[in-house]
Amino acid sequence: MAGVEIRRVVKQYGRVEVLHGVDLSVRDGEFTVLVGPSGCGKSTLLRMIAGLEGITGGEIAIDGTVVNDMPPRERDIAMVFQDYALYPHKSVYDNMGFGLRMRGAAKSEIETLVHEAADILQIRHLLQRRPGQLSGGQRQRVAMGRAIVRRPKVFLFDEPLSNLDAQLRAEMRVEIKKLHQRFGTTIVYVTHDQIEAMTLADRIAIMKDGYLQQYGSPDEVYNRPANRFVASFIGAPPMNMTPASVSADARMIRLPSGMDVTPRGANLSACAGRDIVIGLRPEHVSLGDDPARTPVAGKVELVEPLGSETQATVRVGDARFTGRFSPEAGLKHGQDVTLGLALDRAHFFDAETGEAIRLAA
Amino acid sequence: MAPRTGKTVALKPLPLTRLEKSERRLGLLMILPAFLLLFAVVLFPIGRLLVTSTQQLRLTEPWLGTPFIGLAHYQKALADPRFWETTLNTFIYIAVTVPGAIVVGLGLALLANQPFRVKWPVRLGLLLPWALPLVFAGLIFRWFFEFNQGIVNNILMWVGLPKLAWLTDPFLATVAICIAIIWKTSSFVALILLAGLQTIPKSLYEAAEIDGASKWQQFIEITLPMLRPAIIVAAIFRTITAIQTFDIPYAMTNGGPGNSTETLAMYIHKTTIDFLDLGYGSALAVLMFVVSLAMTAGYLRYTRRDPRQEA
Repeated sequence: MAGVEIRRVVKQYGRVEVLHGVDLSVRDGEFTVLVGPSGCGKSTLLRMIAGLEGITGGEIAIDGTVVNDMPPRERDIAMVFQDYALYPHKSVYDNMGFGLRMRGAAKSEIETLVHEAADILQIRHLLQRRPGQLSGGQRQRVAMGRAIVRRPKVFLFDEPLSNLDAQLRAEMRVEIKKLHQRFGTTIVYVTHDQIEAMTLADRIAIMKDGYLQQYGSPDEVYNRPANRFVASFIGAPPMNMTPASVSADARMIRLPSGMDVTPRGANLSACAGRDIVIGLRPEHVSLGDDPARTPVAGKVELVEPLGSETQATVRVGDARFTGRFSPEAGLKHGQDVTLGLALDRAHFFDAETGEAIRLAA
Repeated sequence: MAPRTGKTVALKPLPLTRLEKSERRLGLLMILPAFLLLFAVVLFPIGRLLVTSTQQLRLTEPWLGTPFIGLAHYQKALADPRFWETTLNTFIYIAVTVPGAIVVGLGLALLANQPFRVKWPVRLGLLLPWALPLVFAGLIFRWFFEFNQGIVNNILMWVGLPKLAWLTDPFLATVAICIAIIWKTSSFVALILLAGLQTIPKSLYEAAEIDGASKWQQFIEITLPMLRPAIIVAAIFRTITAIQTFDIPYAMTNGGPGNSTETLAMYIHKTTIDFLDLGYGSALAVLMFVVSLAMTAGYLRYTRRDPRQEA
């Protein structure tokens, strides 16, 4: 087992720089998820850890050893690819044993280890089949089997679940989490799915345009987002973002349509006289007037019943707030409602830089 | 491939409705032109060939007519040493130039598959020998291997070796012809194999790299097995054309010295065009057709075991 150190790593393709000095420290045994929209550089970074992409600047160390110039086979890593990359002409057994065979393991050892891994992943009955005869979920298991059979120092996952349907994805998520609990091996996992990131990670690294935006526990990135991008990327439905300006005495907030509201329960002195963006999670929007919350009047624009809850978007002047409400509220399209905004739970961002503004307690 | 489950149950065919009958009639009508064309240029000539092979038909002795002589021509062929010699020569060309073209073609395909910044010179170099007419290739190589002015002997002398009688020594002439055929045909093989190479996902090599496979191991463990269907297709095409080898030996040695480089196709040509013995020539052509049918059938049986399934 080993940690992964990424220090000021830069990646350029020709003149185009796609990673601009990323620093990231994955602790020994930690499950780190790299997440971000497509093109943010997360897969590139993972492939650089694997040794499949060269490093333009900075350094990457695995288990304390700088691996910049080390070929992939010497890094003692295993990788699960998005398209699984199973060898189509080899049986499941040979796919799983390939890495061991290439490293000169004895036949009996390969057999023991492959059977052990197959038992863990419950694919022993598939060992003689070819990948083409397997379902997507089974292939996924084989790909993971191929990775765990060698007991590497670090597991790398490159969007491993994106080719599966929703139900299988949820199943395999549990499976991956169990594997991590069982082996305790360091994992670096790339996904664009923030739910995967939240459920799997010990720590999440959120990336955008080749920059690391925030690196922290799921709780941290959800509850204390470093900037507007992180705030809107993490959480579903996404955080409500409303531009606003705060009066000089911080007692009044002006919403887009010129509607003025008096904030309750939040000391906005840090925002006094500034143009800001208010970020409010849907669970912090309620129906009806609540003395602890800031009331605003609006009209229901969209109702999405989900069974256990109803998500509704309410138009307040030019702003829109999506909330999660009880189905019993019986919201109807076009209905006039009063919303209670829990501004004490809201996030405030500088309108220009998008950086979070920390309020005085 | 989906696992086959259950058995097919034979159902009694339902009587056709009027619509189905008229659709079927229309369908037959639509394929009629293609069938007629095929009949005129393939089936009829083959039938004619079979008939002629059982007739005495010598244009040098037209007064003999075209009497039916049964399998006499075939008996003659089996007792004809020149038939056996040219058949053996043809098999030598097949045995040397088919694997030769595949090995060289694979090398060229691997080269062309490299991430060159400018791809067109490589692709052009690949296509050029293929686009060149066979007889031209034969003439070019005849000049290459020419005793006094040929570039090959010039090079041999330049490095201090004696000149060789490339086109007049039976063994060396065969070698020279094989080299010419391989040069001419490997680009076609390379094109087929290049197409095959480009369908191999890059991630397989990345996975193998991480699994610890060296470049050579990746070639043996991934490239070759994944390329097997393409190699077999190339081998079939190449073998069929190798059985018919004619132009290059014709242009380089015209079968000489003696009959030592003559192929079966050349012998058929000589029999029918030079000696005007159409009956015997037809029988030889039928024998060649049977051989080529047998060889391709063997290959096709092998291809049915397709190892390649989508990952």
